[in-house]
Amino acid sequence: MMLPSPYAVRLALQSMVREKWINILTILTIASGLLIISLALFSVYNVDAATKSLPEKFSLILYLDKDIQKDKIDSAIGTLRRQHAVLSVRYIPKEEALKELKAVLKNSSYVFEGLDDNPLPDAIEVKLKKDALGQETVKKLADEALKIKGVKEVDYAEKFLSTLNYLKVGLKTIGIILIAILSTGIVFVCYSTVKILFYRRNEEIETFKLLGATKGFIRTPFIIEGAVIGTAGGILGLLGIFAFYYLVILRLSVAMPIFKMILFPSDLFLPLPFIGMFLGITGSVIALGRLKY
Amino acid sequence: MIRFAGVTKDYDNLTALKDLTFSVEKGEMVFITGPSGSGKTTLLKLIYYAEKPDKGTISVDGWDTEQLKESSIPFLRRNIGVVFQDFRLLANKNVFENVAIALRIRGIDEKALKTKVYETLKAVNLRHKADVYPRRLSGGEQQRVVISRAIVAEPTVVLADEPTGNLDALTAEGVMKTFKDIHAKGTTILIATHNRELYRNSGKRVLRLEMGALVGEEIG
Repeated sequence: MMLPSPYAVRLALQSMVREKWINILTILTIASGLLIISLALFSVYNVDAATKSLPEKFSLILYLDKDIQKDKIDSAIGTLRRQHAVLSVRYIPKEEALKELKAVLKNSSYVFEGLDDNPLPDAIEVKLKKDALGQETVKKLADEALKIKGVKEVDYAEKFLSTLNYLKVGLKTIGIILIAILSTGIVFVCYSTVKILFYRRNEEIETFKLLGATKGFIRTPFIIEGAVIGTAGGILGLLGIFAFYYLVILRLSVAMPIFKMILFPSDLFLPLPFIGMFLGITGSVIALGRLKY
Repeated sequence: MIRFAGVTKDYDNLTALKDLTFSVEKGEMVFITGPSGSGKTTLLKLIYYAEKPDKGTISVDGWDTEQLKESSIPFLRRNIGVVFQDFRLLANKNVFENVAIALRIRGIDEKALKTKVYETLKAVNLRHKADVYPRRLSGGEQQRVVISRAIVAEPTVVLADEPTGNLDALTAEGVMKTFKDIHAKGTTILIATHNRELYRNSGKRVLRLEMGALVGEEIG
């Protein structure tokens, strides 16, 4: 890539100073757009992080035959442990299951009155690896488990999994749509600004042309201006999202501890000035491509 | 150096130039004269390709306008220095920058550019006004800035459109002396003017236009 000449940079900076108000307004508009994009990313990131911690609580419960023998239990556990998606396997004897149930229902202990035999079966609890918690993987594993001798029934939160899946996909879709719309908006803002700046310098450009200036000579300062405007918008957007976290979220978390759960992925936002620059250049290039000169 | 062969230029229903054929040799100084609206400015615009001919061909310093590509136009113009009738000075740039722009467009490095611009400004007696903005200059000084910009890159052809139009006799004389000095260095010069005083007793060729047609040729 050819570096712009110092004169092109000087022309761009002179134009920025001369047309400061339109440039400031454009920078603020870009900054607002990028800040909204950042907030959307911030929300999606936190929802994603929150849903990622859910798998720790998720498990498949395999109910075993009533009179199952010890060797068959061991064999079932061995088969399950060999599965790629499985993180841990725990055998739960029916006595322990009843004890756990009683602990859970200690305020409704009347439920157990008159109960002579333990009605619960022996069970195996299977926890899955985080990356394996897809709806299809879990269903496949459940089907495999049902084929193991001694396994009578497999229970897992199928609805919970599908809701989680919809939530993730939905949030990502909204995020992508929002980013696409706002990015297009930012490009359009840069496009309009460069077009206005171009028309305001029309006479100067006409003189340049008559003196023998190439299109590159005329275009470069506008592209630099678009890049600077975009970068400045990106930096402001970056400052905005950092200010939002450190001045709003952190302060709120002192009064409301629930806000302490919110994660701030600063690395995710650091490229904002470069994104701004890219969008600024894109807007300028489109504007210059459509202008007749 | 410059050849017009059967050139016609129309603006809507108005014929600005009609079947014009003439040539200017390298190093020649030629005056184009005629009343207002006779086509003098259009003729110059055709040479630096600000306008395209509707008929005929124009050749300038080896560039044939019939075969000229859009991307080659800037390079054709770099061989031509133009003294525009309306000056076309950049109001937000000082005298130095107004002259330097002709070299910046050509990508001349900063050191050589400074030397060249100051030399040219000195030649037109404007070295002391290098930092002044055009609005602070008199008409004659503005005209000399435009001439400096036209000649600073040492083009092979210089075109001047009514270069003494708004100047008093003394200033006009100074401007003409500048053109003569440039011409003495071998530059081809075309001056469009309706001022007879400029070419009287000059010993140079004078082309007379009327209603867009070449109606006469004489020695001034």
